[in-house]
Amino acid sequence: MTPQDQYYAGFMSKRPSWTKALRAYRKDLGALIADFVVLIALWGLSSFIWNDLVHGTRDFISVAPWIMLVVCFELALVWESFAVSPGMRLFGRRATDDRNGRAVIGRRFLRVLLLHGLPLFILPILVTTRYIPWQDRLAGFRSVSAAEVPDPRKPWYRTSWMVALAGLAVAMYLASALFTQVDLVKLFTNASATSEIWARIVNPDWSILGLGVRLLIVTLFMAFMATLFGVLVAVPLSFLAARNLAHGIIGRTIYTVLRILMSIVRSIQPFIWAIIFVVWVRTGNAPFAGGLALFVHSVADLTKLYSERLESIDPGPVEAIRSTGANGLQVILYGIVPQIINPYLSFTIYRWDINVRMATIIGLVGGGGIGQRLLQLTRNWVWDQAIVLMLLIMVAVWAMDYSSSRLRERLN
Amino acid sequence: MEELIRIDRLTKVYERGEVLAVNDISFTVKRGEFLVLIGLSGSGKSTLLRCINRLIEPTAGQIVFDGIDVTKASARQLRQLRRRMAMIFQQFNLVKRSSVLTNVLSGRLGYVNPGASAIHKFPKEDLESAFANLERVGIPEQAYKRADELSGGQQQRVGIARALMQRPDLLMADEPVSALDPATAHSVMQYLEQMNQEDGVTVIASLHFLSLARRYGTRILALKDGEIVFEGLPAEIDAAKFKEIYGEEAEEVEVR
Ligand SMILES: Nc1ncnc2c1ncn2[C@@H]1O[C@H](COP(=O)(O)OP(=O)(O)OP(=O)(O)O)[C@@H](O)[C@H]1O
Ligand SMILES: [Mg+2]
Repeated sequence: MTPQDQYYAGFMSKRPSWTKALRAYRKDLGALIADFVVLIALWGLSSFIWNDLVHGTRDFISVAPWIMLVVCFELALVWESFAVSPGMRLFGRRATDDRNGRAVIGRRFLRVLLLHGLPLFILPILVTTRYIPWQDRLAGFRSVSAAEVPDPRKPWYRTSWMVALAGLAVAMYLASALFTQVDLVKLFTNASATSEIWARIVNPDWSILGLGVRLLIVTLFMAFMATLFGVLVAVPLSFLAARNLAHGIIGRTIYTVLRILMSIVRSIQPFIWAIIFVVWVRTGNAPFAGGLALFVHSVADLTKLYSERLESIDPGPVEAIRSTGANGLQVILYGIVPQIINPYLSFTIYRWDINVRMATIIGLVGGGGIGQRLLQLTRNWVWDQAIVLMLLIMVAVWAMDYSSSRLRERLN
Repeated sequence: MEELIRIDRLTKVYERGEVLAVNDISFTVKRGEFLVLIGLSGSGKSTLLRCINRLIEPTAGQIVFDGIDVTKASARQLRQLRRRMAMIFQQFNLVKRSSVLTNVLSGRLGYVNPGASAIHKFPKEDLESAFANLERVGIPEQAYKRADELSGGQQQRVGIARALMQRPDLLMADEPVSALDPATAHSVMQYLEQMNQEDGVTVIASLHFLSLARRYGTRILALKDGEIVFEGLPAEIDAAKFKEIYGEEAEEVEVR
């Protein structure tokens, strides 16, 4: 091979270094574009459903297109910085904290802000191979392949509140479709009909704040009571529902019956339980029905989580405590409890978090609390007050989510 | 010497898998003995030991401990019997997330008021003897550490301290040093020897190494497939006996 040939061979086989970096980064770009598309699609779908239900009009966009594009882009950035978005799932990417593995909320906000420099960070890719986008570097964030980070979360479509929302939306839409004719043309032509909603939403009526906070407290209390009583029932049940602690024919029978019962109860969504209890208790005291629904579902869910944890304890210490002549209660307190206390607390916090979310949704089917009032307000077209309640719910859910994940991090 | 344990035609069949783990075994243990169980893995040593305090329910046969029939004991009697039969384990079996002190104190659970123990309240003299026993096994400064922060050798000493808290007549040790290095193994074995000689505690220990068995045992019982294949003094095990117990291919390894 002549030097000339070598030169050409090298030239042909070796790509310029910046393409490598671009290849490493293209998945993140792909994820962003995918999320953008997903959000536009969601926007179209939801505003269509909304307008169809509320105005009987057909409109996909409702606002000026550029507003939609900007909002969707912003939402995509937020989604990618705060959660695992569909685009990230599609391309197998995860955002992870660069410095100490903690998901610090401030850094996530910073990353969203910095991501606005999107056009700028294409430039450095061209000059360096080991390129970490500057907004990630500044925010202390890294986008890595999904395989590199453990993902303890369930996929979004399996979390109960998403299923509940989706189910509710579909059910409401189908019901309304039966009574109204589907008119896809209006979907495009009648966007302006929603302008009144937007006009009211940007002008919140804060006079409802006091009532809203009170309703929010009722809702949180409903979630709290459901969690508290759920734990009180689920802890003893979990000992009966753990295979390794079920001895004899009676124990085995109880174990089997409990497990089957619990998985049936668990598989029925809380909002369906709420519908059942609203009809069942008929007290006119709606939060009671909602609380019962959450309680029943919590018991089933916690019993399963707790007893699975019990099944994986180390039998050695239990045997050792038994061999000292300890009685049954002492064996549990000294041999078993130290092994399960942290996971139990962690599951409890997790469930309390879910119950707070569910408590707001349950209101929509008549389970009381802030959700029920929100439904009434939107029905009566009082958007300026509805937005206040929505904001309150958002703040509560966000605060719960954040504090519970921090607490659970501590426990692990 | 007075007899402490009499085992009569003891049999254990594990229903799952139909394993005959202990097959019609009879022997006696005298007070003050240091009896060593040897035998290949799966020969039934652990099963035999756990049958004695009924951590495992025997299928047939009789176990008499200090004149009391263990196999017929009620739940309450059994707990009282277990107080006098301490046990230490190959994997130490400490409660890992509890403190060393709690682990040691749990040796008193059979004695104390159950209600008080539920709120982790132990009599003052139990606390004192917990510290004394930790002192005795040479780790008094570790009392407030979490058990899983200790090394293997230290954990087994905690196990011994827990056993000491029971002030037992009998100490059963199921491969107490198999998870330890040779030097640590000897120091742990010496605590057992000390308990045996100074406190007069009868010891039954299963050991993997014949050299350890020879060094510490006053009598040796060899098991094979759940049956006794040798019973006698350590010095009586010659090359032929060794091959009978461990199989033709085995070589003797020393632990010094
Ligand atoms: N829980 C159980 N269920 C079914 N079979 C068992 C059980 N525990 C032990 N066995 C079987 O009983 C036999 C004796 O087991 P054992 O644990 O008593 O032997 P070992 O001498 O202590 O062995 P090692 O030296 O490996 O500890 C083995 O064949 C084993 O497979
Ligand atoms: Mg064994």
